Amino acid sequence: MTAWHLDPEAIRRYARGSVPPGLAASAEAHLMGCATCREVIGALVDPRRAEAIWHEVADRVDAPRRSGPERMLVRLGAGEATARLVAATPTLRGPWLLAVAGVLALAAWAAQVDDRFLLMFLVVAPLGPLAGVAGAFAGGLDPTREIGLATPYSGLRLLLIRTVAVLAVTTPIVALAGLALPGSWWPAVAWLLPTAGLTGAALALTSRLTPVVAVGVVATAWLLVTAPAAVAGRADLAFGPGAQVVWLAVALGGGLGLAVTRNAVSIKLGRSA
Amino acid sequence: MTTVRVRNATKTFGRTTALDDVTLDAGPGVTGLLGPNGAGKTTLLRVIATVLAPDRGAVTLMGRDPARPSDRTRIRERLGYLPQDAGFHRGFTVFEFIDYVAILKEMTDRRPRHDEVRRVIALTGLAAVSAKRIRALSGGMRRRVGLAQALLGDPDLLVLDEPTVGLDPEQRLRFREMISQAGEGRTVVMSSHQTEDITALCATIAVIHQGRARFTGTPAELTARADGRVWTDERRSPAAITAWRTGDGTYRNVGDPPARAELIPPTLEDAYLLLMGEPGREVTHS
Repeated sequence: MTAWHLDPEAIRRYARGSVPPGLAASAEAHLMGCATCREVIGALVDPRRAEAIWHEVADRVDAPRRSGPERMLVRLGAGEATARLVAATPTLRGPWLLAVAGVLALAAWAAQVDDRFLLMFLVVAPLGPLAGVAGAFAGGLDPTREIGLATPYSGLRLLLIRTVAVLAVTTPIVALAGLALPGSWWPAVAWLLPTAGLTGAALALTSRLTPVVAVGVVATAWLLVTAPAAVAGRADLAFGPGAQVVWLAVALGGGLGLAVTRNAVSIKLGRSA
Repeated sequence: MTTVRVRNATKTFGRTTALDDVTLDAGPGVTGLLGPNGAGKTTLLRVIATVLAPDRGAVTLMGRDPARPSDRTRIRERLGYLPQDAGFHRGFTVFEFIDYVAILKEMTDRRPRHDEVRRVIALTGLAAVSAKRIRALSGGMRRRVGLAQALLGDPDLLVLDEPTVGLDPEQRLRFREMISQAGEGRTVVMSSHQTEDITALCATIAVIHQGRARFTGTPAELTARADGRVWTDERRSPAAITAWRTGDGTYRNVGDPPARAELIPPTLEDAYLLLMGEPGREVTHS
């Protein structure tokens, strides 16, 4: 209990929020220990203003801290909610990205040792981003998948957000590994359109299949197409200029297919349910 | 008023029939699904939570058809779901995780969303651990986090899969209290293999076994089915479907009693055991 009390005029100005910061700090220090002055000021403060201040304080105290990638995404113009959804994508975590980088580094190293392994790199390269897309929706990797499935968030929007995020992170990793390849610059970029084509095809299938199964189907088809070419040493069949046009067409067709079936896209549980 | 209406729902996974021609209605209050592990309770709850679609049969939730995309979205806006194996991003704090689910529930405005997150955190008694990482919480507290996210947006339909599994007795009682409060004014459909939870909470129950609804009705109706079929004896009776030695040294026998048996009032558990022991009998009360 204190023997002195705040001047009524000072209390009124404080309640209006019109005192300088130094005086406000001193008034607050007094208010902490003086029930009489708190009672006086309680009658003067606009309840709506008090409510707004309380919300501001509560929000600053317990609002989630943004991670580094979230802050970067917000700076790049993404909404705060979108940034959080991207940050929660399971295949954007360190261990997953390290695994993708490891496999590609191994493939690039093998190609340097023996250029017959160059084709192996080209076959493996699109599978990294593709697996990342599948993993973003896999029950074993996304712990909140089942909770998410029962929410009204658009399956298509989530699919696109996570796919773009995964491609944005994994494509540079593949590109870096491609720089380590021997010979001309062509093998370092020849995987790009196939990756786009396979991703587009997988997305188009998500109106009927789960993302994991859709990616599985597409990846199997990819291996069936490229493995014989790799064995025969005919890179041009899968990665030559003619094939690149086909992959571009597949990518565009996949995008078109996704646009047409957009209302049917819904992330589903797999058979394991 | 019927919030959940399931008609002749069938769901198979390969050769396994998880749901076999199940019919169920649920309205305001708590409806319980009782049954052993693998009975089909989780599959039925997933159907009600719009996470799975039945292969055959009709489902209507809050007057809408979840098979239609636009209806499904409207249903999900008014639905809260706690799965049996609710997973968490363990690096998230309690607040961060619930806020993440709130984003998935289309609460896009940050300030009101955070207010709602705070509301459900307070409702489930998590305020003291709001800033703690989920990986540092006990199993019971994590279950509360799961319930908190299900309560986001004050849903009209709450689907809870084994909400009390793995909880100690005190936590179970607290959970019962929370579920009971949640059931005031909204429809709660929950599963359990704990008959005590079902007795304590549910106005209506469905006993699910091998994908079929063996019984639907009130707990009192199910209990009444065991009237005259529970007795005590100094030894295990050969006529009993099941019997166990109780704390006072006598045997509690459930089945068809012999003449002059000392009959005692049955419990829901007795009736449930009888029903499980007689799979041919199916009873549906309206």
